[in-house]
Amino acid sequence: MKAFVTGLGWVTSAGMGRGRSGDRFAFGKGELPILSRQRIFADPYPRFGRLDDFSRLGLAGIALALADGGFDHCHDKRNIGLFAATILGSMATDITYFDSLLPERGGLASPNLFAYTLSSTFLGEAAIRFGLSGPGFVANLTGKGELDPFVLGLEGIAFNDCESAVCGFCNTSVPSVDPSNGQPEGALFLVLERSGLAGGHSYGILCRQPDGQIFVDDVPVPDCQKMVEVLQSNLPEHK
Amino acid sequence: MAKRVIVLNEVVICAAAAVTALGDTLDQTWERLLKGECGIRPVTRFDTSGYAAAAAACVADLLPAANGSRLPILLERLLDGFGTVPVECMLLTASTKGEIDLLERFRRGEVIDRQKLLPETFLHHLRRMTGLRGEVVNIQAACASSTLALGRGAGIIAHGLADAVLVVCCDLVSEFVFSGFSALQALSPGSCRPFDRHRDGLSLGEGAAALLLMNRNRAVREKRPVLARLLGWGAANDANHITAPARDGGGLILAVKRALERSGISPGEVAGISAHGTGTVFNDLMELTAFRTLFGERKLPLHSVKGATGHTLGAAGGIEAALAVRSLESGLLPPTVGLQNAEPGAEGCVDNQALPFSGKVLLSTNSGFGGINGALILGREDWR
Repeated sequence: MKAFVTGLGWVTSAGMGRGRSGDRFAFGKGELPILSRQRIFADPYPRFGRLDDFSRLGLAGIALALADGGFDHCHDKRNIGLFAATILGSMATDITYFDSLLPERGGLASPNLFAYTLSSTFLGEAAIRFGLSGPGFVANLTGKGELDPFVLGLEGIAFNDCESAVCGFCNTSVPSVDPSNGQPEGALFLVLERSGLAGGHSYGILCRQPDGQIFVDDVPVPDCQKMVEVLQSNLPEHK
Repeated sequence: MAKRVIVLNEVVICAAAAVTALGDTLDQTWERLLKGECGIRPVTRFDTSGYAAAAAACVADLLPAANGSRLPILLERLLDGFGTVPVECMLLTASTKGEIDLLERFRRGEVIDRQKLLPETFLHHLRRMTGLRGEVVNIQAACASSTLALGRGAGIIAHGLADAVLVVCCDLVSEFVFSGFSALQALSPGSCRPFDRHRDGLSLGEGAAALLLMNRNRAVREKRPVLARLLGWGAANDANHITAPARDGGGLILAVKRALERSGISPGEVAGISAHGTGTVFNDLMELTAFRTLFGERKLPLHSVKGATGHTLGAAGGIEAALAVRSLESGLLPPTVGLQNAEPGAEGCVDNQALPFSGKVLLSTNSGFGGINGALILGREDWR
């Protein structure tokens, strides 16, 4: 399975970035940056401020990747799939929502907050914002491979579910449940395209071998850090 | 240069099971459904006095397991007697909220081992229950979770990544979810009435389904029964609204078209529809609009199970696919329980009695929050 990588965006504790902006990807430690609308979107987007933290993080990662690939402005709906892996998903929002129920025996339940207790809701936000009519889901994976989330997108294209896919991961911590969280907080998304026409502006080809190994072009990449490094090194200014 | 032609493996359903408020087996659910029975009852597991409804379709006598959640017991009942699955079979699950009742207990102050609250803990437990070896993927796509999981499983087999995929779908009735739909003013104060002109909202339900998908060649080699064929699958997003369906049914139309295209089946060959049919005003209207666009003025038989089983959220598509297998075997679409007067546009298509249909291909659809829609094309073994 393989596809061209044409967009790259992330938000981690070390900062947010886009592949073509020359930003360096790292997971980092500590708090995630504050995600204001102005830092992610050039034009007004009032909904962004009303999203829960998990959805805001995921949507920011997707928006940065799409903008990096030049997909952020389009008037027509496009068959682009959205696939995201997560560990705890919307659990922090679940807790906020359920805690709001307890004092008044349900009387204070917020319908808006409830909608964000589905881990997949942020994909709907991205679909609306960017006109993406492809399939989409959020996945919990028992596998520990850092690059497993990107295989979801490769599969979506290989299975003809969509022509292009935005895929990656979105993780926020929930200290009251899992202080270690198993994986650093953050979101990293790639835009993958099937079409050979993408080759002209692609970072290279992401490929999953039958034995499960992930390559960028001919270079094996064991983790996110290396994958992003190799992808960025393929940009013309790095050659 | 010649275009490379990829020959896809044929996907068949070799085993199906379901647990719903109508029974602990697919047979029980099917038989009671055909009789028009309703599993929606007053909720006793939490106080509903603060909410807009008091009823849901809960599985009978479903008590918490040792870990504190009802989900393990639900899954034990589901897998009891399911039969053997190949040990290298891939395992996909579909659940929107998993063991949400554990999180409720934790927030109410009970001491809960926090490791048990992690979604992957439940997945590891299910893997042990099934005896499978590989990694597990839980797919969340709101109320279309099962449909997308079945589609992904079929894709895995069709493209040769595995010969067998077990898809397990489940969701519980919980105060967490009940309160949310109440706050959204989406609950029927009584029992839901899908496709009725006086429908007034959905009824929640709980349940589980398991479907074993296999490459036909492998199934034949192992002399497994072929219950039905999974001929096509598709998904699409409305890209329109987070909690409301697109009124023109645009996403559902696209999902069905993608499923039909993949199967190579024309709309004229579809003999019946297992609709999402939640019983909310806008969902059912959206579906009727989509089906009219797809199938014209043809009076295609359709039904919804949710007046009997409630809306089982992430499990809905799996339960409905398992029931569709029975429909294909029997040539009967189950009654749409609760229906009294069909919505304009649904007259002659939907009934509160079982509907015979002639044909060998059924469409099953689901739609969910976030604008996601999923469609499956299921065929009888003797189709073509």
